[in-house]
Amino acid sequence: MTFKRTCAAAALLLGLVPAAQAEELNALIWCDHADPKLLEPFEKAHDVRVNVKEYEGTAAGLTILQQSQPGDWDVMVIDAVDVARAVEQGYLAPLPDGAVSTADYFPQVVLADHNSVDGKTYAVTEKFGYNTLAYNKAKVDPKDMESLASLWSGKYDGRIAIYDYYLPVLGLVGLAEGIDTANLDAAALEKLRDPLMKLKAASKQVSDVVASQTALATGEVDVLIGGGEWLTAVLHSENPDLDWTIPKEGGLLWAQSIGMVEGTQKPELAIEFIKYITSPEGQARLATSSCYWGMPANMAAGDALSEDEKSVLRWSDQTDYLARAQLYPVPDAQTDAAMQDMWTDMLQN
Amino acid sequence: MRTLSWVYLGAIFTFILLPVVVLVIFSFQDGRLPVPPFKGATLKWYAKILGDRDLMDALVNSMMVAILSSLVAVTLGFLAASGLARAALPGSALMRGLLIAPMTVSYLIIGLGLLQMFNQVGIRPSLLATGIGHVVINLPLCFAILYAAIGEHQKSALQAARDLGAREWQVLWHVAAPMLAPSLAAAFFLSFTFSWDEFIIAFLLTRFDVTLPVEIWSMLRSGLSPATNAVGSLVFLVSVAVVVTLELTLFRKGSK
Amino acid sequence: MSIERIEKRQGATLVAPALLWTLIFFVLPFLAMALMSLSHLEGRSVVSGPDLRNYAKIFTEASLLKGIAVSLEITVLVTVISVALAWPLAWIIATRVPVRWRRLALLLAVLPFWTSYVVRSYSWALVLGEKGVVMNALVGLGMLSEPVQIMATRSATVTGFVHFFVMLLTLTIYSNLVQLSPNYARAAEDLGASRWQVIRLVILPLTLPGVVTGAFLTFVLCIGDYITPQILGGNNELTLPQLIMLQLGRRGDYPMASALSLVLMLIVTLAYLACARWLKMERV
Repeated sequence: MTFKRTCAAAALLLGLVPAAQAEELNALIWCDHADPKLLEPFEKAHDVRVNVKEYEGTAAGLTILQQSQPGDWDVMVIDAVDVARAVEQGYLAPLPDGAVSTADYFPQVVLADHNSVDGKTYAVTEKFGYNTLAYNKAKVDPKDMESLASLWSGKYDGRIAIYDYYLPVLGLVGLAEGIDTANLDAAALEKLRDPLMKLKAASKQVSDVVASQTALATGEVDVLIGGGEWLTAVLHSENPDLDWTIPKEGGLLWAQSIGMVEGTQKPELAIEFIKYITSPEGQARLATSSCYWGMPANMAAGDALSEDEKSVLRWSDQTDYLARAQLYPVPDAQTDAAMQDMWTDMLQN
Repeated sequence: MRTLSWVYLGAIFTFILLPVVVLVIFSFQDGRLPVPPFKGATLKWYAKILGDRDLMDALVNSMMVAILSSLVAVTLGFLAASGLARAALPGSALMRGLLIAPMTVSYLIIGLGLLQMFNQVGIRPSLLATGIGHVVINLPLCFAILYAAIGEHQKSALQAARDLGAREWQVLWHVAAPMLAPSLAAAFFLSFTFSWDEFIIAFLLTRFDVTLPVEIWSMLRSGLSPATNAVGSLVFLVSVAVVVTLELTLFRKGSK
Repeated sequence: MSIERIEKRQGATLVAPALLWTLIFFVLPFLAMALMSLSHLEGRSVVSGPDLRNYAKIFTEASLLKGIAVSLEITVLVTVISVALAWPLAWIIATRVPVRWRRLALLLAVLPFWTSYVVRSYSWALVLGEKGVVMNALVGLGMLSEPVQIMATRSATVTGFVHFFVMLLTLTIYSNLVQLSPNYARAAEDLGASRWQVIRLVILPLTLPGVVTGAFLTFVLCIGDYITPQILGGNNELTLPQLIMLQLGRRGDYPMASALSLVLMLIVTLAYLACARWLKMERV
């Protein structure tokens, strides 16, 4: 009997292995792409199911690809500045010429230099925004937020949260020290150690998206370095005092791209998905995704967004913001490791 | 001492129940944030999560993984415990040690090891992989509980059955299993609870079809919302209902 | 065939499935991981060793070394507090609560077990926050003039852990207590021992095996947990599991994650040896 039960259990366990459905699209993504509101229209139109898996940080995403077999993944969302790194390791497939048009894009975020390698386009920008200062304007002097230096002035000690992602925050600390992100190499990095440790000493916590939102919304902290519209927009209705700005030293521009994974068995479907994401409707839904908001790369999405949504996204200020923001640092492997080591030291201090 | 006991009981129950009470209250929060002040009651977050396809899938997945992995763990543990109680085997201490060993290893390490091994042999992360991991963590527990339950008294009863000519499977099924029924049930429920609640192994070993804790984790990472409270409350209320039902039916009968 | 040999063969047959499972899905992965820990990440690719670079790094790099210390401190603290809180609770339920309320009391004591682990930590975050229920109550009652920071500190992590392990330990200690024959206590009382003396000199030592087993389980589960410090600790210090997940999530550095895991395991093994005198795991 026990044997029978074992057999039954084994049979049931095997039944747990998902049966291959007719059409599935496997996407390696960030959380904003997991919103059913974004995926369902595509799933209905093409009669497919989009399977999504979130990942954290490019290195982890590339490790997932490395450990997968060809055909496991169809599309991938990745930091625009890291597209070349993925291409170099052979994880992205070139997009057919003219598959996606960037004619209506904000010109500054087409980022052709980053999205293509050797003249071939491997990915296309889909969403962007800023890592700068987010704050509670009822509790801090908005004038102070015009300069990054305020965070080191002592005035806001214990009321600061640091967003837990090393690239943008190290970039911002660099800007505060007068170092452009493009020049952030191993030597320049060492100059950031002291200010970074001082920032940690002045801050209350180093937190991910949710902990940052919670802390800002509940008033546990008043300033978040690394934050931006992606953080405050979802909370806008809850607490209109939450605001963000790009200080005079500048801010960081984040841009995410979407590309087709090398080895996909469904290139047509993958392209269709990329087309959908970059279409005005897809762009509008992505911009206001439940996980975080961000500017659509495609200006044509403006027609599909409400005036309210556009004002929360600060649509009309984009030209000014884009002019003042710098791209993420693009460290080589060694500098990247050094940055992560420094970040770990900061967390552990 | 009597008063002190009751004061202590009250204080510690407050400590134990406080987060759950707060969790449930703010699952009804009519606002985006599940923190005070309480802005009025609504059921919309429950409607939202009940309509969430991924969440409901994850719930079913968790249930399946927990039931099946616990069955396998209890069965393997029961057989092993009976076997080791049956005869003085050479290397018996070593075998016991090996069976217990996973209990002394963190889930994270078990998950990481399985992940690397599965990667090397080309097995994709899946619920099956997660289930295998859950058997690994629960087998020692089941074995330990059942092995401890087979005392001298039980051993002689089993021996008597064999002396009377019962076959080994008959001994196991008709004598050992009923005799150990409370321990078997305890082992199963403990395994079920651990598997149901286990995060890190499931996090490392699943891909698209995830278990409930993993789904809740991604909910949590994607924004603060009373919906998370609603999921937690729902899981809580349903589990409590199940426990109370079991308490009133199965165990009442068992304890006479 | 002698009866003894039949017995042995049957015994071995029954043990085999569990042993095989443990060998294939526990020992083998462990060996794979040990092997992985001897390679290292150079640039963005894994260079297979064997070498000890990762271990050298663990014991020279301050942030990693401190991770070990942080994990140990938190775990020891949690284990001690949890035992101290759980023992009286188990004892009160086993001896003070009227028999017919006992099961209910026990059920209440472990009630939060039945919500999801991830959610439990999260709900502590809601409770302990500056705007949370606890601070509101303390300030409201005038016990504090202004909220103090608990959330995003070690205290928050410890609170979250203690909450879980008090429940676990109450169960193990309770089951140990009810198995004790009341004759021990009666005999001691007959010999003139006071109630405190009975507890301290008779009951406490008799529950020691249960306490040590529960404490060891607490130690293992606590030192290996990622969720609680991640949700409640505010990243102000990192435990070993957080460092391991950082290697996986941020760097894709499996060799280093493996090496740190082995260090974690070594610590648990040392703890096991330290408790081994009392630990009869197979007789939980």
